[in-house]
Amino acid sequence: MNLITRQNWVDNDNGLVDRRIFSDVEIYQTELKKIFARGWNFMCHESQIPESGNFFLNYIGEDQVIVVRDRNQQVQVLLNSCPHRGNTVCRADQGKTRSFFCSYHGWNFDLDGKLVGVPGFEPFYKGDLDKDKWGLAKAAQVESYKGFVFATLDPDAIALGDFLGWVGRLGLDLIAEQGDVEVVDGIQKNRIQCNWKLAVDNLFDWYHPKVSHASAIRTGIMSEESMYPMSQMVILGEYGHAIGGPGVSEDEQRRLEEKYADLYSTANLEKPKSPNSWRANQQAIQELGPVGIRSKGHPNIFPNLWVSTGGTQLCLRLPKGPLETELWWFTFVNRNLSTETKRRIIQGAIHFFGPAGMLEQDDGENWSHSTRGSRGVVTGDRPLNFRMGLGQDKVRSDQSGQSSIETVVNEHGQRWTYRSWQEWMKADNWSDLVKNHSPEPKGQV
Amino acid sequence: MPEQSNTEPSNTELSTPDLMLLQFEVEQFLYHEAKLLDERRYDEWINLLTEDIHYWMPIRRTTTTREINKEFTEPGAMAFFDDDLEMLKMRVKKMAAGNAWSEDPPSRTRHFVSNIHISGVQGDEIKVELNFHLYRTRLESEEDSWIGRRQDLIRRTDNSFMLARRHIFLEQTVILSQNMSSMF
Repeated sequence: MNLITRQNWVDNDNGLVDRRIFSDVEIYQTELKKIFARGWNFMCHESQIPESGNFFLNYIGEDQVIVVRDRNQQVQVLLNSCPHRGNTVCRADQGKTRSFFCSYHGWNFDLDGKLVGVPGFEPFYKGDLDKDKWGLAKAAQVESYKGFVFATLDPDAIALGDFLGWVGRLGLDLIAEQGDVEVVDGIQKNRIQCNWKLAVDNLFDWYHPKVSHASAIRTGIMSEESMYPMSQMVILGEYGHAIGGPGVSEDEQRRLEEKYADLYSTANLEKPKSPNSWRANQQAIQELGPVGIRSKGHPNIFPNLWVSTGGTQLCLRLPKGPLETELWWFTFVNRNLSTETKRRIIQGAIHFFGPAGMLEQDDGENWSHSTRGSRGVVTGDRPLNFRMGLGQDKVRSDQSGQSSIETVVNEHGQRWTYRSWQEWMKADNWSDLVKNHSPEPKGQV
Repeated sequence: MPEQSNTEPSNTELSTPDLMLLQFEVEQFLYHEAKLLDERRYDEWINLLTEDIHYWMPIRRTTTTREINKEFTEPGAMAFFDDDLEMLKMRVKKMAAGNAWSEDPPSRTRHFVSNIHISGVQGDEIKVELNFHLYRTRLESEEDSWIGRRQDLIRRTDNSFMLARRHIFLEQTVILSQNMSSMF
């Protein structure tokens, strides 16, 4: 067994991970700087803030930000902190406003963050305050990919599209290409006493459902087969993005394309009974590519955005200290579906996921106890085993340039996530990360 | 959005003694129901629910006073619970499955109901508003406390009552618990 040394928490060759990364305060503080503040973070979907003045509060790491559509219809991401004493200037989770007003001394900020009102500007400041300099700080970069808004606090970050690469884009396309989607009102939020990485790790995990979710399977709410598919399709991308889970076989995809060929040549946008019919849409095939179109798995947009493709949801795992994570569920529906079909999709989301969901009820305790298991001075010294499938599978490259690992239940997605996590943690800055991150794997993995 | 809190006298045609008797009967029913949940007698609990029950807990958000009418999600939007009888039966079946890990070892719960107010009576149906406190502990040190308001619709049957609607309005926006595997 290799000894894991400081700065070498992940042993890629042997599939071992140092448990201290799930509880150490210093490591956590480094993650906030080197992963969250540096990376691209999901903010919201544009449908949540359709009009000028609409805002939605979110976080980049533990830095709270206001995501707002300004007077020019541009999406701004502003640090929610008055430059005078640091007080928050927005206290509502979401809503519509004309400006952001500080409840401490009354500084007032326009929707683009510009300081526009200062009580006592003449009598107290004698006009000696450069309002242009003292607006709300802005995220270094804000970009939208097909309506999904992301922001980074690092001015040196590479463009969103380059960061996402084809794997990250594919993850979002698995929702975006299902039609003209919008977020359903209501973001479910709850807290779990677990390290955020253990929540992320779980989304690739098709080993746990049969055990963790045995009771839900027993009720008949979903088939055992759907919870424990024998074939798996793993897709790994640069900067830590990964997709793990089942796929549609090539034969099945051909059948879908034949069966639903007419569906997308007509104005019929209603979702038919098969949840996979959208895969026959030529535009979707074009966008997702010949390999991507067959993915039914769970993508993670590094570091913490799970695309839950079963119910077209996103789950953001927000860090709240090394031992606590907040889960935020965003639910999407195609605007053009009938009210009845939308209702079925929304109820499915409610019944499966969220803190009262039949599946998710049983996840939290496992993750919190796994986190707890990284704290004891002796327990925490024992590395965790991520060896399933290590060295036993091959990356299959398609002519299109897309590649996948087609195999059985495995831990490739988890290993890729921890490998990438370590690369982000070791890199001093973006140019270092660009130079020293792993390329998409080829050959044996 | 919940109906406005009704603090006026009950909107019923009942005489005071009749209303007092009904209040007593309703309270006894609610205490019994809470006891069944605390004692994990779910099969008996499910028998108290009508075929058309709607069990619903919307999502609450922090909003400004100006937008307080958008504090709760509307029916049909996202929620924490939006269940019919079939779904509630599945929840109960899950708990009885023997491997529902969030409830095995079992949680220890205590349901309290108070401020019970009969806000309307129409035929066999009694509208009840009340405050609740559901307290849960698990394992060594896990502790959850959910406080809120409920709007129940109780339907009189031959010799007892059944629950036809339960709308639950929690005081929390972010649920400060790893799950909500208890019934409210």
